[in-house]
Amino acid sequence: MPERKVLWRDLLVLAALTGWALALPHYASEFVASLALTCFMYIALASSWALFCGLSRYLSLATSAFFGIGAYTSALALEHMPWLHAVALGALLAAAVALLMGAAVLHLRGTYFAVLTFGMTELIRHALSYFEKQVSGTVGRVLTIVPERNTVYLTVLALAVLALATSIAVRRSRFGLALAGIGSDEQRAQTLGVGTRSVKTAGFALTAAFAGAVGAAMAVRWTYIDPPTVFNPFIGFQTVLIALIGGATTLWGPLIAAIVFSLLAETLRLQLPQLYMMALGVLLILCVLHLPGGVASLRWSTFAAWWRDTRQWWRERREEDTEQERKARRQRDRETRNV
Amino acid sequence: MSATAWIELIASGLITGGIYALVALGLNLQYGLMRILNIAHGEFLMLGAYLTWAATTLLGLSPLVMLPLSFGVMFGVGVVVHRLCFKRLTETSLTLDIFEARGLMVSFGLMFLVQNLVSMVWGGDLRGYDYLTDPVHFGSMQFAANKLLVFALALLFSAGLIALLKFTLLGKGVRALMQSPTGAQLVGIDTKRLHPLMFGIGLGLSALAGCLLSMTYTIAPAMGEPYTVTALIVITLGGFGSMGGALAGGLLLGVVEALGMHFTSPSLKMLLSYGVFIAVLLLRPKGLFTRKTRDA
Repeated sequence: MPERKVLWRDLLVLAALTGWALALPHYASEFVASLALTCFMYIALASSWALFCGLSRYLSLATSAFFGIGAYTSALALEHMPWLHAVALGALLAAAVALLMGAAVLHLRGTYFAVLTFGMTELIRHALSYFEKQVSGTVGRVLTIVPERNTVYLTVLALAVLALATSIAVRRSRFGLALAGIGSDEQRAQTLGVGTRSVKTAGFALTAAFAGAVGAAMAVRWTYIDPPTVFNPFIGFQTVLIALIGGATTLWGPLIAAIVFSLLAETLRLQLPQLYMMALGVLLILCVLHLPGGVASLRWSTFAAWWRDTRQWWRERREEDTEQERKARRQRDRETRNV
Repeated sequence: MSATAWIELIASGLITGGIYALVALGLNLQYGLMRILNIAHGEFLMLGAYLTWAATTLLGLSPLVMLPLSFGVMFGVGVVVHRLCFKRLTETSLTLDIFEARGLMVSFGLMFLVQNLVSMVWGGDLRGYDYLTDPVHFGSMQFAANKLLVFALALLFSAGLIALLKFTLLGKGVRALMQSPTGAQLVGIDTKRLHPLMFGIGLGLSALAGCLLSMTYTIAPAMGEPYTVTALIVITLGGFGSMGGALAGGLLLGVVEALGMHFTSPSLKMLLSYGVFIAVLLLRPKGLFTRKTRDA
């Protein structure tokens, strides 16, 4: 498809989905609406994660840090300022932390980067727990001023749409090309005149801003927050999983995977929490092994390739068997001759 | 503080450090040799601890009997896991960078799988059994007998692994592979056989550590993760791929933690560990004990 047509298709799909999501709370039950809210949360998190980490191949595990920072910001700020300001402040603070963190770790690649971002997330969580216990004298915070349910729904929906729209826009911009260039070969991108350092830092901060805003908006849903809940590393893991299983380099992959996972999580988690986590683990392994491009890269030809691989593997095994049989027969012949 | 108290404090740090070293050695074997940063390493420790606990309480076996058994079981599991996951990953990844990132993801999957499997089978409660709980006196100092045994065995196994790598032909092959995979293959070292073998030994070591841990502490399905983090810290302290460094780093971290917890507060423990970890990774990414000339 020509470039222009793809853009129109993406925008149309986005508009249609948004319209449907806007109408949802008016006819569906409260349970469905809250399910949709979880969906939007993971769509926003995974899409914005894929925007930086998918394109540039920097595997960040710090999403839960930014999410938690956003949540704490809104918990502390909601008493003093209106709702939207608190969400924006959450985004800003998370982006500021990302700038600091990025300055320290963005020159490292691969596993080092992943492990360090994870370590820093845990450091922030433990530091905040310690601070709360020693200085503020509390374990968690109760959110007393909570906006209406509908406001939260609309805000998180707007964040999800914004994340997707940003994704669409960035992918067609110079900035997005620079990120993709870093992803395929950082040195080459540098040689071609991309300011890799500033591009990476900006991308990291952008991801963090979305995670912070989502955290700030979702915090009111819990009404009581403490560091282990909002800095839960699982939020970060699940975001990464969703993006990877959906296809981190694609636009719609994270969205599809986020919907599937939220549905799976809500239906399975209550009855069989362990089974859900095990399924997640198995899916992740299978996906990394057999579908490295994610679900969005699935085509009919993929199935054909799997079929071919399996057949070839089978044939090789059979040949191995016959080879062994031949060897055994030769051995037997030799033995009988000796006798 | 009296001299006895100091010695007791440092000794208790060394005892924990011995376990850390054993866990870290296994992880280091996997990362140094195959570039698999196995986040699920601590989960296999937990599995080893649960196997020991089950055998001790249900069958009445001595935990010492379970040492070789759990090593064997985990070795088998390791070979199978390598065969199912990492073999294909090596074949299909184009560069080492991509392999590392994908290997990390696979091990996250393994972590979810194993941790939840255990908590489904045995539940989330704390478990434990009593083994050799009598105190042993050295002059005016006293230690629990099981802790001393754990320390001795942890050191024994660590030293055994290091000796295996230093003095045998197999170890020579492994060290050659760590230095240069291509070079090692050129002189006829069989990667396809050594990789599963070493992955299995790595998991076996973590099972041994779990087995030892279950003799002194209570166990729970979530116990693995802190040990993975600690092992990561230890191998960054000692340098990725350096076995002597991992042993020294483990003992050092144990002592630092014991002293830090004594002089500040126990709730700072994780904060301390993560602080040390990040500082070392940022300032000396090749480890504390490496000389500048080692550039492999």
